[in-house]
Amino acid sequence: METFSNFIGGTIALFSDPIGILIFVGGVIGGMLFGAIPGVSMLTLAAILLPFTAHLSAEHGVMLFSVIYCTGVYGGAITAILFNIPGAPENAPTAFDGYPMTQKGQAGKAVGAAVMCSALGGTISAVIMMAATAPIADWAISAFGPPEIFALVFFGLAVAASVGAKTLWKGWLSILAGLLIAVVGLDPVGGIERYDFNMPYLLAGIHFIPTILGFFAVSEIFVQAEKKATGVYKAPKVSVDFPSLAELITHKFAVVRSIVIGFFCGILPGIGATLAAFMGYNEAVRWSKDRAQFGKGKLEGVISSETANNAATGAAMIPLLALGLPGGALTAMMVGVFQMHDMEPGPLVFINSPDLVWVVFAAMFFANASILVIGFLETKTIINLLRIPFQFLAPMILLLATVGAYAVRGLVIDVVVMFVAGVLGFFLRRSGYSVAGIVLGLILGKIGEQTFAQAMQMLHFEWSGFIDRPIALVLIISGLLTILGSIYGAFFKKHHSVDHAAGE
Amino acid sequence: MGKLRPGHFVEAGLWLALAAVLYIYSFDFDQSIEIYKYGAVAWPRAILLLIVIAAVGQLLYHWKSGDEATSGTIGAATDDGSEEAAIESGHSSIQWYVSTFVLLTLPFAYMRLPEWIVQMFSLGEGALTSTKLICAALVIALYVFMMRRNHVGGMLALPILFASMLEDMGFYATAPFFIIGVMFLMGERRPKWMVIITALILGILLFLFVSLLYVGLPTGNIHPFYDFGNWVVTLLQ
Repeated sequence: METFSNFIGGTIALFSDPIGILIFVGGVIGGMLFGAIPGVSMLTLAAILLPFTAHLSAEHGVMLFSVIYCTGVYGGAITAILFNIPGAPENAPTAFDGYPMTQKGQAGKAVGAAVMCSALGGTISAVIMMAATAPIADWAISAFGPPEIFALVFFGLAVAASVGAKTLWKGWLSILAGLLIAVVGLDPVGGIERYDFNMPYLLAGIHFIPTILGFFAVSEIFVQAEKKATGVYKAPKVSVDFPSLAELITHKFAVVRSIVIGFFCGILPGIGATLAAFMGYNEAVRWSKDRAQFGKGKLEGVISSETANNAATGAAMIPLLALGLPGGALTAMMVGVFQMHDMEPGPLVFINSPDLVWVVFAAMFFANASILVIGFLETKTIINLLRIPFQFLAPMILLLATVGAYAVRGLVIDVVVMFVAGVLGFFLRRSGYSVAGIVLGLILGKIGEQTFAQAMQMLHFEWSGFIDRPIALVLIISGLLTILGSIYGAFFKKHHSVDHAAGE
Repeated sequence: MGKLRPGHFVEAGLWLALAAVLYIYSFDFDQSIEIYKYGAVAWPRAILLLIVIAAVGQLLYHWKSGDEATSGTIGAATDDGSEEAAIESGHSSIQWYVSTFVLLTLPFAYMRLPEWIVQMFSLGEGALTSTKLICAALVIALYVFMMRRNHVGGMLALPILFASMLEDMGFYATAPFFIIGVMFLMGERRPKWMVIITALILGILLFLFVSLLYVGLPTGNIHPFYDFGNWVVTLLQ
């Protein structure tokens, strides 16, 4: 009951604040648009907005990002279904069955199903998040010291390394590169200058905002430039109609299964919405009796992937808010929002600023619910917006990034660092590395080294001290098992993975 | 030889070289900390060691399996097609890499050269401005010459070139050229549209950030550009 009254309190706080409403609506529409336009993603939007959240209150900043997360995950579904162009990777499996449905003249039903299932998966996930986060945070306050947090960071990096890059080794090299960037600057214990190369700029460490902007917003433009994506689509006429209730009920198992899968994918670090969508789709194929129909326009395919990717959004907030550990690129940027307001995400946020938490939770619930409304109203607008050629969009995004990077500290060198990171990101991506891994390494590197140093001092430099701390021990063993498992998989098993379902 | 290509050696070599260079530099801050047994170097050196292991592991993997993705990873799930684009467009030849590398060094040449020239010929303070202008003209001319044959390389270098000139020429004078350059490199050729879109983007951007949010963008510090930048700012605010 306490959860419910908190939720009502958050809702009232959210909708009684005009600026809050403005940010909420802007986030809902912005996330949807950037999710839908191929070549940019919600991460691009989030990276561009990140520097300017300094002007907002912490509450508004985090709320904005969580709203973008919810609607951005849905946005790409429309283009995936209508044009076979997923606006973002997390909608890729939606296209497997969504586009064939369009070809069969069932576009309206596919879009309608995507809208309903995104809203359903997202709101249910938000409800579980509200119920579960506070107890986990309560438990974490008493049970988590530096050794546990270090163990959690280790586990998170171990999982993240096996996701997103082309090979296990590239996954690790991505993470390690991020950790290395985090080393530049002053060391966390003695304040000794590391890798400053006598440049005052490096002394303060490489700022994460230009780095994130470069890796996500700028390198994205470069990839598109190489593809020479002109982005001119023939927009087909589309209407949106709900699938009938009976149809949805026949797929109730698919919906429930995808919510469970999506939620677990979201809660694990490093995995997130993209993998949730693929896993949801994969399991739908595996459990189905007529597998041959998948990929030929089966409604269940659209339902499974769209439910799963939105179900991951609420779950991803649990480790961030309860433990202070970001699991993906977008939640890593949320850590950035917290840090700009001199706050650390983690269990103490619940005690120090419960208002923030509940406004964010309420905003996520309503953002997912609003997909239902806006999804129907905006679909046609989005199709028209897709007619904007990418060569007009690209300079706008690059200049927004420039203004953003410069506005942080008023240093032109930050702009240079951002564009250099963009070029590096471009080359790393085309060689199969994961930019999300680098950013995760960069954000977790500082937390990791600091907690490692504190843990070692606490345990009097005895590594065996971890054995007496069951939670830390379990996390470290799980991390080691993850690494060993992926090495085993890399060397001894044949090429079999989720992309198998993609028909590649 | 297995399935190794020269590119695999370059990749491993770059990681190992990075690790080696940073290991050597780590002696610069090899100081002990009284309360912390491992000192300031243990953490970075551990990362470097892991990089070496991962780079060697990667090379062995390439030797065994070529460019195949590993099964333990779900890389294909987040694949954005950037690799395919690279292979299809033929931007993996050595000439392309060399030309792109040269293009990328141009902005850094502009950032360093004027000061060096002034110091080397012991010219006075006043000569710095004109040296900068001459260097800028040369760098831009060289950029335009090279960019015509390598659009993707040009696209990678243009933003850095723009950033390197922000300090001296200011945002207001350089941004229009930057916008037109990006549109040209992305395949736009209609002058009318270029002018309209440039005006539109600058209008939105300047209204939003300079008039509404009072974000101070660099105005430049070289004579005609500095005055122009300030004139625009007073106009807007």
